[in-house]
Amino acid sequence: MISSMPLLEARGISKGFFGNPVLKGISISLQPGRVHALLGENGAGKSTLINLLSGALQPDGGEIAVDGKAVSRFNPGAARAAGVAVVQQELSLASELSIAENVGLGAYPRRFGLVDYKALAEQVKTVCDMVGLTEALDTPVGDLSLGRRQMVEIAKALFLKPRVLILDEPTSSLSAHEAGILSALILKLRDQGIALLYISHRLNEVRALCSHVTVLKDGVVTADQPLAGVDAEGLVKLMVGRDPGDLFPTWEAVLPGEERISVTGLSAGMVRDIDFSARAGEIVGIGGLVGQGQEDFLLGLYGALPGSVKTARLCERDGLFSDVGAANAAGLAYVPADRKKEGLVLPHSIATNLLMPSLGKLTKNGFRDRGAEKNTVLQLASRLMIKGDTGRPVQALSGGNQQKVALAKWLPLDPSVLLLNDPTRGVDIETKREIYLMLRGFAAEGKLVILLSSDTPELVHLCDRVLVFRDGRTVAALQRAEITEEAIVGAAMGLTSREAA
Amino acid sequence: MTTRSISSSGLYRAIQSRRNRGLGGLYIVVVAFLLLYVWLFPGIVSIGGFSKFTQNWFPLALVTMAQALLMLNGGITLSVGPLVSLGAVIAATSMGGFAGTWGGIAAVAAIGLGIGAITGIIVAHLRLPAIIVTLAGSFIITGIALLILPRPGGFIPGWFSDLLAGNTPVAFCLLLVAIAGWKLFMATPAGLGMYAAGENPVGAFRSGVSVERVKVAAFAISGLLAALAGLFVAAQTGSGDPLIGNPFTLNSIAAAVLGGVGFLGGKGTMRGAICGSLLLSVMINVMFFLGFPPVAQYVAQGLIIVGAVAIPELTAQRRKK
Repeated sequence: MISSMPLLEARGISKGFFGNPVLKGISISLQPGRVHALLGENGAGKSTLINLLSGALQPDGGEIAVDGKAVSRFNPGAARAAGVAVVQQELSLASELSIAENVGLGAYPRRFGLVDYKALAEQVKTVCDMVGLTEALDTPVGDLSLGRRQMVEIAKALFLKPRVLILDEPTSSLSAHEAGILSALILKLRDQGIALLYISHRLNEVRALCSHVTVLKDGVVTADQPLAGVDAEGLVKLMVGRDPGDLFPTWEAVLPGEERISVTGLSAGMVRDIDFSARAGEIVGIGGLVGQGQEDFLLGLYGALPGSVKTARLCERDGLFSDVGAANAAGLAYVPADRKKEGLVLPHSIATNLLMPSLGKLTKNGFRDRGAEKNTVLQLASRLMIKGDTGRPVQALSGGNQQKVALAKWLPLDPSVLLLNDPTRGVDIETKREIYLMLRGFAAEGKLVILLSSDTPELVHLCDRVLVFRDGRTVAALQRAEITEEAIVGAAMGLTSREAA
Repeated sequence: MTTRSISSSGLYRAIQSRRNRGLGGLYIVVVAFLLLYVWLFPGIVSIGGFSKFTQNWFPLALVTMAQALLMLNGGITLSVGPLVSLGAVIAATSMGGFAGTWGGIAAVAAIGLGIGAITGIIVAHLRLPAIIVTLAGSFIITGIALLILPRPGGFIPGWFSDLLAGNTPVAFCLLLVAIAGWKLFMATPAGLGMYAAGENPVGAFRSGVSVERVKVAAFAISGLLAALAGLFVAAQTGSGDPLIGNPFTLNSIAAAVLGGVGFLGGKGTMRGAICGSLLLSVMINVMFFLGFPPVAQYVAQGLIIVGAVAIPELTAQRRKK
């Protein structure tokens, strides 16, 4: 199809949050009768682009055009008027309302000002038949499984009779059967002349459904081309490959010491049946797309998420920890991803936050030992290079320095295993460098570091080994020589493992 | 072509009957307490007895609706009680004077709607927590009621009191009207939007529900119901009392919770809340007739409410395992 008039276009749009540019002059053009793929790594700016295309956010620069004409204020109302419907990753459903009431929400047929249930039932039935929802229309959505709810979400988008349909990872919670129905539906909608934008991490699906691809990387478009003739490896190459510079310390692998963690058949949360062991002096990286069970794996080891194992030996102790206190006592420490909510008490002082885990140890006759506390804080502050008054509230620090506090507060307990959940997310370059040095330092001291990271170069340049998670399982275990960005991203996208048909 | 059991014309009824099914347990408990009450006090089975009984229940039912409406929308109000007092005070001061009976009713309704709407605007547009705004509102409203009528007094026309609180079930009929009004509201797009926004405000917003407008409407209707409850209380007692509404704040929350309305929004039904208010009203009466001292009544009331919330929670947890 030689370019007909695009239904929806972004023309050189940029968008930033708190001075951080996320999109830097992006253009994308959605044509009728075409399924357009949008690819990119975690944090490439895909979600921001979707929010701009659906009017949920306003661009800082550039413009959105409908039918070739620029729209000055493209808000949700304008998007609706232009016929743009989005199937979001997070559900927009109300669980107490029925399927029919959810599908029609915001666009109910009316009669005398009331919802016309008769017309609603007929219209909803049509779209439910299209997506293969056979449940009774009066079923409360709360009674449905996640996959069925996702289908309700898709029916809800179709209810609006869209001209442009944006699907953000629609298959992530669908069964193979449901995904098959959706694929057939997408092709049918395409043949009816609807413009579709399809975001997925499953490259097989992308190659089966889409004819054109836009690749985002670090907020710029790195490819905008027909999909024909590009193989899966080519797509992966388009998504990765940046210059790490001298961000990472040079280091020599130390000879791994005694075994600190060894589990077989670990299941916890969405993690299924994982065998894993690691030794003192290693940094083991945990990679994969967001939300594939990496966090549940760390929490399962830490005793913060109930799980089951065949065998487990953690820090010379049999079995999983029943609670976090036992894990701390055995020498494990966990640094959560959301430092503002889980890692720190923001209004409290730097000193108080640094002392939090060790308050129970720094006592004299059962009372707090102010002298010992003061020494501990001084030592930690100098080690972390935190300058100035430690009596300031921790929220006065930059994100990077906050992260250092969240990490350092465990050091007085001298943990032998550090579980780190994405410790450099939202951290400036300079602090990243310091944190990387610190982590290699821990390994050299003989600590075991397990580093969950959404930043692939970090895994490549810092880790002795990398495990890649997908759908709650490990799909790759890469040794030092095998760790490349292509290998990690490829495994995360399911290239080396067989895709569930 | 499908296993769908519902014909398209019966969708509304099917949804309603499913909601009733979820409340089966509550209905049984309410009926059991009602039977106990009839057994203890057979006089209720007469026009006069039934009228008196429903008159005792009526203001609690109204304030429970006022409370449940906001809880379903993901909020709460602590100014229900003071609004009842203010409604009573305004009725008692205006009906005898310039406004006349009908003018007084209009004044009460307008003030309830107005205060509710202002509260709603503050909560929705300034994005302040409802619990704080309505707590502040409760002080202000109580103060205004005391300024208008420092001591109980005022005047309610005798015929008006006889009409609402005499030996005829007028109060019960008014309650049926209120319930019908609610059902009508819940059949409008705004009503369903209010429900959806209570549980998933972001999702409702994305679906095109004007979340803020719906919230302001919920607060306004809630204020209206509370003020009208005050009007009724004034008719019942024949005068206005600037502090008479105070117990209604916590009782309205208790009744809504008994009826299965959740604190986090979107969970529960109005029919459940009304049953909860009936249950609370009957429980208080039964304990009174059994000769419980007032203090023991409070303790028992508290235990029953905690139990009512804990039992479904515990059974749900057990079912999960």
